[in-house]
Amino acid sequence: MSIFTPTNQIRLTNVAVVRMKKGGKRFEIACYKNKVMSWRSGAEKDLDEVLQTNTVFVNVSKGQVAKKDDLSSAFGTEDLTEICKQILAKGELQVSDRERQSQLEQMFRDIATIVAEKCVNPETKRPYTVSLIERAMKDIHFSVKANKSTKQQALEVIKQLQQSIQIQRAHMRLRFVLPARDGKRLKEKLRPLIKTVENEDFDEQLEMVCLIDPGCFRDIDELIRCETKGKGTLERFSTLSEDV
Amino acid sequence: MGHTSLEKIIALQKKTPHIRNLCILAHVDHGKTTLADCLVASNGIISSRLAGKLRYLDSREDEQIRGITMKSSAISLHYTTGGNEYLINLIDSPGHVDFSSEVSTAVRLCDGAIVVVDAVEGVCPQTQVVLRQAWLENIRPVLVINKIDRLIVELKLTSQEAYTHLQKILEQVNAVTGSLFTSKVLEERAEKDAEAQSSCTENGSGDQVYDWSAGLEETDDSDLYFSPDRGNVVFASAIDGWGFSIHQFAEMYSQKMGIRSSVLLKTLWGDFYLNAKAKKIMKGAQSKGKKPLFVQLVLDNIWSMYDAVVTRRDKEKVEKMVTSLGLKVMSRDLRHSDPKVLLSAICSQWLPVSQAVLSMVCEKLPSPAEISAERVEKLMSVGARRFDSLPEQTQELKKAFLDCSADETAPVIVFVSKMFAVDSKALPQNKQRPLTQEEIAQRREQARQRHAERQAANQSAENALCAQTEALSVKTAVEEDNKEHFVAFARVYSGVLRKGQKVFVLGPKYDPSLALRALPEGCSAADVLPSVPHMACCTVDSLYLLMGRELEELDEVPTGNVLGIGGMEEFILKSATISTSPSCPPFTPLNFEATPIVRVAVEPKHPSEMPKLVRGMRLLNQADPCAEVLIQETGEHVLVTAGEVHLQRCLDDLRERFAKIEISASKPIIPFRETVIRPPKVDMVNEDMGKQQKVAVIHQVKEEQTKYPEGVQVDSTGLVTLTTPNKMATVGVRAIPLPEEVTRLLEDNVELIRTMEQFSLFAWEDKTLDINQKILENIQEFKVKLESNLQGRKWRGAVERIWAFGPRRCGPNILLNSVEGYRRPSVWQCLEREKETEKAEIRDFDNSIASGFQLATLSGPMCEEPLMGVCFSVETWDMKLSAPLAQQDSIDEDSQTAEPNIDNQNESSDTHETNAAGSSVDCYGPFSGQLIAAMKEACRYAFQAKPQRLMAAMYTCEIMATAEVLGRVYAVLSKREGRVLQEEMKEGTDMFIIKAVLPVAESFGFADEIRKRTSGLASPQLVFSHWEVISSDPFWVPTTEEEYLHFGEKADSSNQALKYMNAVRRRKGLYVEEKIVEHAEKQRTLSKNK
Repeated sequence: MSIFTPTNQIRLTNVAVVRMKKGGKRFEIACYKNKVMSWRSGAEKDLDEVLQTNTVFVNVSKGQVAKKDDLSSAFGTEDLTEICKQILAKGELQVSDRERQSQLEQMFRDIATIVAEKCVNPETKRPYTVSLIERAMKDIHFSVKANKSTKQQALEVIKQLQQSIQIQRAHMRLRFVLPARDGKRLKEKLRPLIKTVENEDFDEQLEMVCLIDPGCFRDIDELIRCETKGKGTLERFSTLSEDV
Repeated sequence: MGHTSLEKIIALQKKTPHIRNLCILAHVDHGKTTLADCLVASNGIISSRLAGKLRYLDSREDEQIRGITMKSSAISLHYTTGGNEYLINLIDSPGHVDFSSEVSTAVRLCDGAIVVVDAVEGVCPQTQVVLRQAWLENIRPVLVINKIDRLIVELKLTSQEAYTHLQKILEQVNAVTGSLFTSKVLEERAEKDAEAQSSCTENGSGDQVYDWSAGLEETDDSDLYFSPDRGNVVFASAIDGWGFSIHQFAEMYSQKMGIRSSVLLKTLWGDFYLNAKAKKIMKGAQSKGKKPLFVQLVLDNIWSMYDAVVTRRDKEKVEKMVTSLGLKVMSRDLRHSDPKVLLSAICSQWLPVSQAVLSMVCEKLPSPAEISAERVEKLMSVGARRFDSLPEQTQELKKAFLDCSADETAPVIVFVSKMFAVDSKALPQNKQRPLTQEEIAQRREQARQRHAERQAANQSAENALCAQTEALSVKTAVEEDNKEHFVAFARVYSGVLRKGQKVFVLGPKYDPSLALRALPEGCSAADVLPSVPHMACCTVDSLYLLMGRELEELDEVPTGNVLGIGGMEEFILKSATISTSPSCPPFTPLNFEATPIVRVAVEPKHPSEMPKLVRGMRLLNQADPCAEVLIQETGEHVLVTAGEVHLQRCLDDLRERFAKIEISASKPIIPFRETVIRPPKVDMVNEDMGKQQKVAVIHQVKEEQTKYPEGVQVDSTGLVTLTTPNKMATVGVRAIPLPEEVTRLLEDNVELIRTMEQFSLFAWEDKTLDINQKILENIQEFKVKLESNLQGRKWRGAVERIWAFGPRRCGPNILLNSVEGYRRPSVWQCLEREKETEKAEIRDFDNSIASGFQLATLSGPMCEEPLMGVCFSVETWDMKLSAPLAQQDSIDEDSQTAEPNIDNQNESSDTHETNAAGSSVDCYGPFSGQLIAAMKEACRYAFQAKPQRLMAAMYTCEIMATAEVLGRVYAVLSKREGRVLQEEMKEGTDMFIIKAVLPVAESFGFADEIRKRTSGLASPQLVFSHWEVISSDPFWVPTTEEEYLHFGEKADSSNQALKYMNAVRRRKGLYVEEKIVEHAEKQRTLSKNK
């Protein structure tokens, strides 16, 4: 008969539970908070810093330890550490506050960096600094969505920022050569897509150097390719922000 | 003395010999502004009671709060002595190191300087600096030893001790002057020697007689030194309002004692004593233990005065003294509880400081008319140009300088040393004047009319419109008010400057010989002229008399005066020369003792206020002689200032005057470069690699740093092979470090590479671009140099095989074509145009490979910074392309080539697929895009397969320091990862010049730290020099036994490269390999015993 006294009772505090279902059974391990993500990313290499104990539980909060038979049938091994590592790598967990915070912060920075790379101040034709973009993003109360890609969100942010500060996508400089026959017809179609025409030369064929908004590139590309049936050429020089 | 009227000053301005332009120079807190206060008080501008407390010339709010002067400001004073009236243009200057540029602007406009030295502190670093500045500008200094009261009250010295103390200070000052003199003589000597030597070698004469005497003996330097008996020293206590020169006491005692004043003058300072019995003045006071004359006759009197008034407060004795001195003290002052009040009441009557100083100034300092020929030549010859080499007409102007005449015919020459901003309210035009009776009547009439009109208008519907326009006009007026006005701080060297006059404004880079050729003979600024670089014509808008914080309007200013010129902000940036003659040369640039080195990035708090900030920074740039404003390529607005205090002032100025917005200043962004190196031979503890047994790693399993995804193969030599997702093409890339010289060569020849690139681009389109012969030669030379630097088996024929340069097609990285059986036109085809070798073919998708390379070099794998000094050699390139696909894709090839970054970013990837769907369905997007991505990835992996290193931008740093602080300079340098290159002593001085290199990343706050640690005795100058590989590996972990012993398990203490890399990654929001919490156990939040 075993006696449950407070002396042989181990109390775990500061617990993050990682769960995994395998072989129809649920297994849990007790980890420290804010550590599981570091382990998964490889920053934390010391397993003892991640696991509270290397026991595998059925239910951590109730203190029910998993049976050996269940473990060996589900994982095919009895090595607890090995099983813990498997659960750590593949199990599901509640992301803790600081982990989430640091993740969001990182994404926020990433978005700001992308925006700063893609945009310029139309007055000076120079990019904005990342810190300024970050501040502007905070001003418009932009909140990061963890499940959307940063690039996608950056494009959204640019649209929103245009209402609050002087910002513009860095223009792309294009040069295209069109056969004379198609030139006239196409020019009218291209006009609304082009921001400024820098150079135009129309003798045997139409040659144009112009600035466009990067968003229109696909449309122009498609237009030229379809309409000229592959006879027109299109060449991209560089974004304007690189030139100045 | 009563308030001096404006008319009087205007009248005096015309008498050039009676003008004195002088500035007050000293170390910080030695009492310049207090002294200036006393002088201002003598003219009745401020009350003499407030003198010393008001600091009248510190007109800025922060100057008053901090108690230091931050700008030079001028005031015109009137002084009468012996029936002669003098006009004194006094310029007060700041003493703090950060504002030494302001001192330079002040010194340039003056003929003389008052050097103030604290009697307690003696000669301080800044004192040396100002003495040097005065020396360099060839202006004559006089000395004021200030704060003598502190010797009595604070240090409690006896008069005898005080005398020796004062002697010592005088010696120190003279030592500084002496060393300046010797260094100049030695310099001249060296020049002469060099000349002599060159002539000797020409002659080829065998017997050389070397003259060992340094030339010091021949040159007379006695008139340089300060000595009370020469009359160029005043002892003073500006705060108590007294000061005297020996002169005054000599006069006083010659009457009393019946000794000739000339004798007294000679003996009052020095080792003389009064033999009471013989009634004779004898030599050798010290050896005989007697009181020197100076102590007995001068200091003792002052000491007893302080004793009676301050220490013992003996009323009777005070009264006796007052009556014996024949002074009148108001009973109010006598009864005052603070003895200082009484003291200054007595002293300022007995020995008024203004009297002593001003009379010395008038006597000893030269008038503008006495300007020396040497100084004129120095002013007129810019840089290293010799005066003789200037055009003839210009040399003639020297006469105008020397004449300094205010004739109508004399050419006007004005030098503007700085621009300063003035609130438009402070301008005299906008000042409220008391209205005269008629004006009041007139206004009343107008008001009445307006009232009547309004009543009439009320009935009509127009009134709304009317009110609107009125409101509008009011609004514009308000806007006008807020505008900052710039006034040029200037001095007339010759002629008369008039309001409305047409003049030439000559920038610092203006060359008179060029202009003289371009302009017709005898033209004036009023004519219509062809434009000449750095020259502008303008009309003088308004002239001001500078009266401290006030300005008075003038109509004309004759030669020799200091003045303010309004309406010049369009024409003058910081300093300029104004003249009516185009042959006038620009004056030599100001000697700035401190160059701006503290860099910060400035940003508005609210991003929408960017335009305001830009405008504000432009104004600041103009208003401050020493601040620099730059806009970086990254879009940062960088402000460079001379020091922390200067920075604070600039930021305050931006906030409150120029931009009027909230701003924040931060560390500027520090650029890095990424590179690879050859595998190092030794490990971190200098042991040979390979010999060591790798110890079993205890905790951390040292994994391969990069886990290669599938499809990437890396062999042991660093060749990376990668296949595109559709399995159509395979590229094999190897990264090779470029020799350092090659990297430098590539960096220096960016322009050439760009031209070559352009040529190839045109050639591709079957067009030709004409390049002139010179550039072609340069390219050829560049190629030869490259070849000579790329020697060895590995680089055989490499130069011919160069495919591209990157990033941005002209950077310091090379793409090499090592694909067997692929001959593509070389980048050097512009050189081989004539030969027209057999036409090399360009494979399809050639451009995609190059674009992939461009992208890879633009941002490296370590922290997305550009690469530098890396050569990517493409060794294999296999295509398994079906012909129709190639056909189809080559059409849109050029459209896709360089757009992968768009291609990722673009929302509409689906539209693209529909395009591609035409011929072949490829779920991985267009093939060219895939190839670019594959090439980019291959480059990145190839880079990572080699030992990677960060490159840091380095400053070269030149530090001037005295011998005693040398150790501390070294300490600061080594703390900040600096490396000393050389150290040498400056000839003729006790200064050391240290040359060191310092990473830019460590330079923030460097100047300030070094100044603090060395108490201002060392001043650094930083200039960007080069990129340097940081030797430590950012991914390094200890692997051998010794390394464990030396660095411990984690080795996270001292890896500088890792620190830099993580900082950049964090800033960019990239993943940083860092634990969120270091110790899991330590974040326990619940109580244990539950």
